[in-house]
Amino acid sequence: MDFDDDMYDSYSDQDEEFMDTDVSVDDNNCDDDDDGDDDDDVDDSIESSTINPHKKNYTILSEDDLRGRQEEDITEVSNVLSISRVSASILLLRYNWNVVEVHQAWFADEEKVRSMLGIMEKPVLQNDQNSEELTLCGICLENYPRNTMIDVGCGHPFCCSCWNGYIGTAIKDGPGCLMLRCPQHKCRVAVGQDMINMLASEEDKVKYSYYFLRSYVEVNKKIKWCPSPGCIYAVEFEIGSGINDICCKCTHSFCWNCIEDVHSPVDCGTVAKWVFKNSDESENVTWILANSKACPKCNRPIQKNDGCMHMTCREPCRYEFCWLCLGKWINYDHKCNSFDKEKQEGEEKVKNMAKSLLDRYTHYYERWAANEKSRVKAMGDLQKMQDVTIDKLRSIQCQLQSELKFIADAWVQIIECRRVLKWTYAYGYYLPEHEHAKKQLFEYLQGEAESGLERLHQCAEKEIEVHLNAEAPSEEFNEFRIKLAGLTTVTRNYFENLVQALENGLADVDSLPASE
Amino acid sequence: MKNPVDGFSAGLVDDSNIFEWSVTIIGPPDTLYDGGYFNAVMSFPSNYPNSPPTVRFTSDVWHPNVYPDGRVCISILHAPGDDPNGYELASERWTPVHTVESIVLSIISMLSSPNDESPANVEAAKEWRERRDDFKKKVSRCVRRSQEML
Repeated sequence: MDFDDDMYDSYSDQDEEFMDTDVSVDDNNCDDDDDGDDDDDVDDSIESSTINPHKKNYTILSEDDLRGRQEEDITEVSNVLSISRVSASILLLRYNWNVVEVHQAWFADEEKVRSMLGIMEKPVLQNDQNSEELTLCGICLENYPRNTMIDVGCGHPFCCSCWNGYIGTAIKDGPGCLMLRCPQHKCRVAVGQDMINMLASEEDKVKYSYYFLRSYVEVNKKIKWCPSPGCIYAVEFEIGSGINDICCKCTHSFCWNCIEDVHSPVDCGTVAKWVFKNSDESENVTWILANSKACPKCNRPIQKNDGCMHMTCREPCRYEFCWLCLGKWINYDHKCNSFDKEKQEGEEKVKNMAKSLLDRYTHYYERWAANEKSRVKAMGDLQKMQDVTIDKLRSIQCQLQSELKFIADAWVQIIECRRVLKWTYAYGYYLPEHEHAKKQLFEYLQGEAESGLERLHQCAEKEIEVHLNAEAPSEEFNEFRIKLAGLTTVTRNYFENLVQALENGLADVDSLPASE
Repeated sequence: MKNPVDGFSAGLVDDSNIFEWSVTIIGPPDTLYDGGYFNAVMSFPSNYPNSPPTVRFTSDVWHPNVYPDGRVCISILHAPGDDPNGYELASERWTPVHTVESIVLSIISMLSSPNDESPANVEAAKEWRERRDDFKKKVSRCVRRSQEML
């Protein structure tokens, strides 16, 4: 392990590449998956080894899917009410894209709806419409030949340049442009998309069409945009179906309910408190942690670049320690997940810290943040593994692609476990100090899960290297397979126990007397 | 102006800037503001008439629809998109067919019939509703002061 900065840089590059590609771990799944519903491959592959597998209760929608649905709704309204598609769009915009509501309102009182929304039955008859007679434009107060001027069917003509300015100003003002009306004072006739397409600049048309698309998502309680910056997908969710975890096609995972990163088994309330606290205190804490630590033995500054917490300092020091507690790393049963006040207070670095409250927070924050960093790194590693490592291994070790699936499974497991572990630190922070039995059970389960994960991560990250550098197929590779696959299963079990315990609020200890 | 409005005169604040007008509105007869000469500055945005101008009294005007800093708050001076208070119908808002003439007419009509539904000056609105005599006193002080400034 080394601590070169360039390694650190390459890691962030991988992240970006990773965002552009689908994670398709399961080849069989990809081949079978030709039903056009190609968003499944991300989810299935990840869910195949997630801790709490569940039936998918959401659909990822692309821009085309959304526009397709809008078109369908417009067609329906336009057919049923025998009105133009533009008028149907205006109705749908006003009634939040609820076809049933449009029909109800329309059939209850068509006249009222028409006058409220400015949908005319037929254009006002104008004899002069095609004449060249000079007519005053009510906006710029110049005269133009009538046949060069345009009105929305209400008989209030304006020149094209004024229309362009009027529409442009409305579009610049925001989505209100979707309910635009004739500029004439007190005239309420609607200006629909047909007029926009005829009179607006190209740039404005794109913006209008984007607002139009957005309106569909924003009024629909069952659809939300993926919150990842730059992501173009929306998610349709079966409300009331229980599990809120969403994994978007862009690979971003979020909670349907609170839009934060997926945080099960920890509840939204705890997450909100934790995130708020972080934003409040992160300036202090990030300053303290500031990305680098000194080697506990030789004091050389170290920036962490690998995913697991087992650190080995550079030659000649070669001191092995835990990144989190800076304690000596003796074996893989190393545990530092519980906050040991006495031990910490004995240590030199703690003496310098101002408040024990901040210490406590720092303890949990550091572990929360380190696991997130590690998770992101593991996502990059999984991608790299699929792009490069697997092919290399296939030729060196003469293995079939399907025989190497266990490696991807291990990484998918690591990513999911890092995520769960991260949030359990927010949970731990808010677990009341006086609930001794709960705290004990929680820290026991978390500790078991964490050390299992460290073993798995170490094995997937480090022990594979020997086989990558081998010259010929080796017996040991089979042993590696058995070990890694075994660790994957064991770690999954540990995390399943942890998740289950948190989901039922550590209720198992309620019946037991608190052990003091 | 093509159709001059009674009780109103206008000129540029500064001859080199046609976007800033200095206007004087004479208090409409048979109202509390009768006889007052109220100065105001009308500022036009560069995309006028697509966006509305703003009007700000430089004389003291005690009125429910005039902010304490003099800005006039009437629906036709608001763009259709922004309705900070949610009270106004879109049809009463600014559209580019409005002119200085229609704005001045609206201000004159505002002076004769205040709208206390969405007051810009809450104190003035309360007084107008509950203590009309106090309100009248304050307005006539404004009128007198505006005459002294002539």
